[in-house]
Amino acid sequence: MIKCKFEDLIDDYLLNRLSETNRENFEEHYFNCTHCYEKMVEREELISVIKNKGYTIFQDEYLAEETKRVPWFESVRSYFTPRQWAFAAVSAALFLIVIFGVIPTLNRTSPQFYINNEDVVRGESITLISPLIDIKSVPSQFKWKSLGKNVEYNIYIYNEKLIWTGTTKENVITLPEEVRKLMTSDQKYSWKVKAFSPEGFLIAISSRVQFKIIPTK
Amino acid sequence: MSDKKKEIDLEEIIAKYRPVVGFRVKKSLGAANPDWEDVANEIMLNVVEKIKKGEFRGESSIGTFIYTITSRRIVDYIRQKSKVLRHAPEPKPLPSPHEQIEDKERAELIAGAIKKLKPKYRETLYLYYYRDLSRKEVAQKLGISLRRVSERVNYSQKLLRKLIKK
Repeated sequence: MIKCKFEDLIDDYLLNRLSETNRENFEEHYFNCTHCYEKMVEREELISVIKNKGYTIFQDEYLAEETKRVPWFESVRSYFTPRQWAFAAVSAALFLIVIFGVIPTLNRTSPQFYINNEDVVRGESITLISPLIDIKSVPSQFKWKSLGKNVEYNIYIYNEKLIWTGTTKENVITLPEEVRKLMTSDQKYSWKVKAFSPEGFLIAISSRVQFKIIPTK
Repeated sequence: MSDKKKEIDLEEIIAKYRPVVGFRVKKSLGAANPDWEDVANEIMLNVVEKIKKGEFRGESSIGTFIYTITSRRIVDYIRQKSKVLRHAPEPKPLPSPHEQIEDKERAELIAGAIKKLKPKYRETLYLYYYRDLSRKEVAQKLGISLRRVSERVNYSQKLLRKLIKK
């Protein structure tokens, strides 16, 4: 039973663990408090016996500690008191519940994707080879880089609006004669290619490239 | 204050404070230092002298009055000593044989009593005083709270008191 609030300082004083001010305060205190003085004398005696004879008194403890040498899990375990461990475990559990239990339910409706004819499934692009920029005569063939087998290409040729469209499974297409006749020099044209998988999904799309027919004179 | 009353007080004061002053001096000088008794006696003479001269006016408690004189004398002693020590080392003194035997017997008694304590108390004393771990380290090692460490030490002391008295 603690009778004086200074009693708590006895050990720290005797073990030289007080700051200078606290030490002086405590010293002044025990000059005035017989209770603390007597407790301190008793404790000092105990400490000096332990310090001088500890090796013989604590042989069991000493040996136990030497042989134990604190396995790693023991040192981890002793990092916290059991109460702190319990707190850490509860915190971790709550954290996991929030992360895996609560947050997913907040955002349960996952986004839905509908593929229409304008959506690209594979997200590749098609490199167009010719015609590009300026050409000397009305082109008879349109060529692009192949994306592999079993791909169907749609070719679109525009003036200001779409003037022709064709379909092929190769990476080149020949323009029909009547369409060539429609094309005149000094006009801007553009073209693009779309690639479709056998199932009919759009898998790649080229950029729209312009070209102009400049005949040599 | 009458002269008569002063005398009675003085005897009481000496009886009560001689051990306290002795403890304080021993703590600063170290128990192995033979001077501590002389210094403590000197302080008590000084206290008596000052009280007789009427220097203690009751502005503070008598305890604080004696504490102040003690602290000053200790500081002086250490200052003097550090000067002397530079020139000549002190020869080691022999403690009085009678006192030695008595102390030794009592120490044996206490040591024997500690051995009789339950392991949980012995373990605490071992870590806290012998291994000199901090209270926090002891608490962590034993997986108990800081408060518990103090409680165990205090309870050990209580048990020892009983064992020794038997």
